[in-house]
Order: sequence, then C-alpha cells, then structure tokens
Amino acid sequence: MEDKKEFVVALAGNANVGKSVIFNQLTGGNQIIGNWPGKTVEKAEGFIEQEGVRIRVVDLPGIYSLSTYSEEEIVSREFIAKEKPDLVINVVDAVNLERNLFFTLQLIELEVPLVIALNQYDILERKGLSINGKKLSELLGVPVIKTVAVHNKGLTELFEIVRNALLKGEKKVSHLRYGKEVESRIKELSEIISKKVKTYYPPRFVAIKLLENDPLIKKEIKDEEILKKADKFRKELKEIHGEEAETVIISERYAIASRIAESVIERKSTLKESMGDWFDKIALDKVWGYVFFILVTIGIFYAVFKFGSFFSDLLSNWLESFKPIFMRMPLTPFWNKILWDGIMEGVIAGIGIVLPYIAPFYLILAFLEDSGYLARIAFLTDNVMHKLGLHGKAFMPLIEGFGCNVPAVLGTRIMERDRDRFIAAILATLVPCSARTVIILGLVATFLGPVYALIIYVLDFILILITGRILNKFMKGTPSGLIMEMPRYRKPVMKIILKQTWIRLKDFVYFAFPIIIVANVVMEIFSIFNWIKPVANFLKPVMTDFLGLPPLAGITFLFGILRKELTLVMLSTLYHTTNFAKVLTPRQIFIFGFVTMIYIPCVATIAALKREFGWKRATAVTVGEFVGAIVLGGILNQILKLFMP
Amino acid sequence: MIRNNVTLLDIKAGEKAEIVSLAGGYGFMRRLQEMGLIPGQIVEVVRNSAMGPVEISVMGTHLAIGRGIAAKVIVRPVRRQIYGR
Repeated sequence: MEDKKEFVVALAGNANVGKSVIFNQLTGGNQIIGNWPGKTVEKAEGFIEQEGVRIRVVDLPGIYSLSTYSEEEIVSREFIAKEKPDLVINVVDAVNLERNLFFTLQLIELEVPLVIALNQYDILERKGLSINGKKLSELLGVPVIKTVAVHNKGLTELFEIVRNALLKGEKKVSHLRYGKEVESRIKELSEIISKKVKTYYPPRFVAIKLLENDPLIKKEIKDEEILKKADKFRKELKEIHGEEAETVIISERYAIASRIAESVIERKSTLKESMGDWFDKIALDKVWGYVFFILVTIGIFYAVFKFGSFFSDLLSNWLESFKPIFMRMPLTPFWNKILWDGIMEGVIAGIGIVLPYIAPFYLILAFLEDSGYLARIAFLTDNVMHKLGLHGKAFMPLIEGFGCNVPAVLGTRIMERDRDRFIAAILATLVPCSARTVIILGLVATFLGPVYALIIYVLDFILILITGRILNKFMKGTPSGLIMEMPRYRKPVMKIILKQTWIRLKDFVYFAFPIIIVANVVMEIFSIFNWIKPVANFLKPVMTDFLGLPPLAGITFLFGILRKELTLVMLSTLYHTTNFAKVLTPRQIFIFGFVTMIYIPCVATIAALKREFGWKRATAVTVGEFVGAIVLGGILNQILKLFMP
Repeated sequence: MIRNNVTLLDIKAGEKAEIVSLAGGYGFMRRLQEMGLIPGQIVEVVRNSAMGPVEISVMGTHLAIGRGIAAKVIVRPVRRQIYGR
C-alpha cells in the first residue's frame, strides 16, 4: 500500500517569464498575471490532485538572483532553502537563455531537485532560433521541457516529468565548476562549514554566498573563524583578479551560463527588426511617446464612458420595468418596501450603475497588462516620478490602482526601499480606482458632461503630484533609481484576458454585490424608521454649510467607506432615482464627485495599508486623506460658487 | 588603472560600449551585475534622451536604467570595427 503523500513543488525563475501562467494552468488557480516584471509579490499556493498524488504548488515571486537584494529574493530563497520543496520547476525564458541560466545555476547551487520549463518557446522559434533541449539537459543534469504556457503547450509533459520525478524521489546533485582560484576556495570553505556549523543551506552554497559577501548569510553563520577565512579569501580573489570577489563570482557564473547558452542555441534563419522594436520608436519617443500615452488614456476612458452609459441606461430601464410586478405582490407595505426599495434597488444599482462601467474597464486593463505597454509607461514617467521621490517602476502599482487600490498597495513591494514603498502606497490610494471611475463617469460625466469628469481626473492627478512632492520633501532619504527589464510586447491571448477580467469581476459580483444589497436594505430600514434625519442633521454643518452638499450626502459617504461605489448607489436609494440631475445641482454633483474621489481609502485598502505598513501609518493616511478631502472640497466649493449655481 | 569618466549617459543611441566598472552602492551595483552588466560585457544603447531613462540592450534583453544610476556605470566606447565581438 502506498501512503498518500503530499508533495511540494515550487515555481521559480526570473521576473516575467510566465511562472504565474504555468501556475494557473497547472492548478486552475487565479493568480493575476500580466506582462511586466513584478506582479507576483507574494507566494501563492494551489493544489493538483491526480491518481492519489497530491501536489502543493507554490508560485514564487520572480527574481534574478538568490542574493538578498530585494524582499522578493529573500522570500524565494528562504522558501526554497527552509521549506525544502520536493522539487522546483525553474521557469526559463527561452528567448533569454543566458540571463535565465544565471539564475538556474544558483538553483543548482542550492541543491534542490530541478525541472526546467523552457517557456515562451514559440517566440524563440519566431525569431528563427531553436534550443537543443537534450543537450541542455545533459549539460545541466536536469530534465528540460519546452513549453508555451499561454497556449497550454507542453504542460502535460511537464506535469508527467514532475510527477515521475516526485514518485521516484531521487535526489541527484550536480555541480558546476568555477575557475580554479574560486573553486579551490569554495571547496576549502565549504569543508570547514560542513564540519563546524549547521544551516538550512547546503555548505557549498553558503561558501559561495560568503565569498559574495551576502549580508544575510553572514548573519546566519556567525562563526568567527569561518567569517575571517571568507574575508581572507575575498581579499585574495580581489588581488588576483583586480575586482571585488562578488564581481569575480558573478562574472564567472555568467561565463558558464553564456558558454552553455551558446552551445545549445541553434540558428535557423536570420533576425529581423521585430514589430516591437519598431513600435517602441513611437511608444518611447521623447515627444510622440507622451502624445501616444495621453491619446491611449483618453481613448480608454472615453470608450469606457460611452460603453458604460449606453448599457447603464439600457439595463436600468429594463430592471426598473419590473417595478409594477413587485408592487402588485401581496405583501405588507413594510416588506414591499424592503423587497423593492431595499433589495431590488440594490440589485439595479449594482447591475445598472456599476457593472456597465467596470466590466469594460477591467477588460481594457487586462489587455494593457498583457500587452507589455505598461512597462513603457513606467519608462516614460521615470523623470516625473523622480520629482515625486520615486522612480518609474512605481508607475506599475499606480496603474494597477486604477483597477483597485488593494493590489496596488501590495504591488508597491516591487519598490526596493521602504521609504519608496510607503510613498508609492500613499499615492496609490489616491489613484481613482474602478469604483471611483464608476462615480465619476456615471455621475459627473453623465450629468455634467465628459469635460467635467476630465477636470476631476486632472485635479486628482495634480493632487497626487503635490502629495508626492510633499512626501518626498519630508521623508528622509533620496529616491532610488530605476533598473527594469523591458518586457517584450506580446500579442494578448484572448482566453487569458477574459479570464483576468473575470477574476476581477468575480470579486465584484461575489464580494461587492452582497455588500451593496445589504447596505441598501440597512438604509431602507433606517428610512422606514425615520432614523436618517438625525444622522443627516448631525453631519449637516460640514456637509451643507461647508461643502454645499445636501445633508443626505453625508450618509452616502459613510457607506462609501465600505466600498466607494456605495456613495452613488446610496444616493440613488435615498432619492429613489438614478436621474441625479433632478436632485443635485451641477455644483453639488461636481463636489460630490471630487470628495468621493479622495476622501478616504475604502476599508479593504485601509486593511491592506495596515498589513503592509502597520496601524500607525495606515491610520495616518486614512485620517490625512479624510481631512484633506473635506478641506479641499470646501475650498473648491467656495471657488465654484463664483461660476456654478 | 586608467582613469576613465565616460559613463552610460555619454553613449548615444545606436552606439555600443564595454562595461568597465560600476561606481555605486553595494545593492544597486550588485543588481546591475546580476542583470548582466559585468566588466567586459558589451552593451548597446538603444535610447538615451534627457527626458527619460537610458535603455540598453544586454544579452538580448532590453533594460531601462534611470539616469542617476546610468551615471555610475563607467564604460568604454566601442568603435564600429569591433562590432559584434
């Protein structure tokens, strides 16, 4: 009898090579993927169960090295070393074999059982190249499988090999030799290490990392004699090679990688300038790049607005037409009110006001993520970001913020330093997320016109710029610089885009929808028992006297803390209409949109801030933005009084 | 050692250069080395305008490097004759 064992398999490799795509395909998981380096900032887990074998698959953040330069690298290294997965699938970008092998060699040094997935193989072939997989496998002593994960090619074979390797359970360790001077010192050092100290890491790996001057490994070893010896060796290597020891080791590792890559890559036809290079001439141009970027942005919002308002009308009217049926139901007036005004109005608001805007928005966002264009925006905005005390990479979480601020706050982990992360996270909470876009498009653009919506966006962007400048000035430290791999453009795969869109929409349907309906019912109960007035009166001084809004607006802001969409949904519930022009003046619509845009991050975002930066800083951001929104809204109201009724 | 203060910033788009050394803090320089900017490596500058980062092609990938960091990458310009080493 075989005992049912759980195996652990980790996916590791450089950033943006397709680990998460493989993860999703293998486990049916819902990892958000996209074509830029650094989406996966945290390890994700999924399970495969087949023929009595249960495999826990762990998707690790993409890294370039097993040094401890960034948080992701530490996460990945510690996972592999300490939790000792039964096998690591090293996902390798076939097009960038040399760079990717640099990391593979380090995995081999960690002495974990490996299987290599040579991914994006179709792109390599399109370039007129091929890789001799058998030879590569012999040179590295590791099985190699060619895959095209986005089209689900080669993954069955990959799984078969992984399964067989797990069931056999053999642990073959291969070593790759460095140059004579380095190798002899690694040997001597690892012998002492294996005698004197016990670590999670293999002694040879520790020896190499000590010679590379790795701070975390040094802390872990502590043994004076070993550290002294390593120091002595580092000095000797520096004398022999005229470079720091870590440079020598990195160079030699790259030499091995390039020797292997050269011997397995076969050229079939010559290269021509790719479409991507040609497109970059426009997309990254110092003038046209920005023009293109602005056109794309405006185009996206206009398309979402047009599509959204069309379907919003259509769906709202259709759903409203059911009212007579509900009204004729044999119920007491109380239950009738709960059923229609409470539940159904909530459903109508969700389907009629929110869904038509966020569905196309998520679709376009997924398309952008998959295409590789996002990294180009990061490139273009690097200089502006420097003025905010950040660098271009910060743009990626900020752009993600347009979908939802929560992943944006988590996504700031791609920033290398804590200071940069915190600034980026604060700015991310000011980015108009899809919920706020619903309000701006569904309320401001619909009833005042798209230009006014644009003005609110521009005001928000100015606010982000100013906030960034202020934070940059008052937070210690100079901004760090950008080092980013530019992803290749990729023809987006429809199936993956639709899945991405669905993953995000599902969150709205399963999570936000119930909240909207429950909130609506609660509000209806409040209104039936006449509890709304006292609350509204309490908020009146700020709401009406200062912001110029109707007192009821204050209540919608309270609900909006749960989900920003709720401000608009509650407004429609309170006034029993979706034609807001009837109940609000143009100035009120504008101020309402503006305050909603910035007044507080929603609870989910506050929770994300708390998780990443602790209570103190999360509270500071929340209170700061609340006060800021009221003060700025009030000032705006006074100014607008001059122009608008 | 020969004093040399030509940096990546001085290389025009379309030209190649050989990496000589990296003059900066441990973390960043280490990261650059791991991305392939090791002494002796030939890189091609793809884009270099005052408006944005320097884009280089190294080992078949394109890398965007902020101007502040590019200023710390010491290089030696490579003449056309040695093209493609």
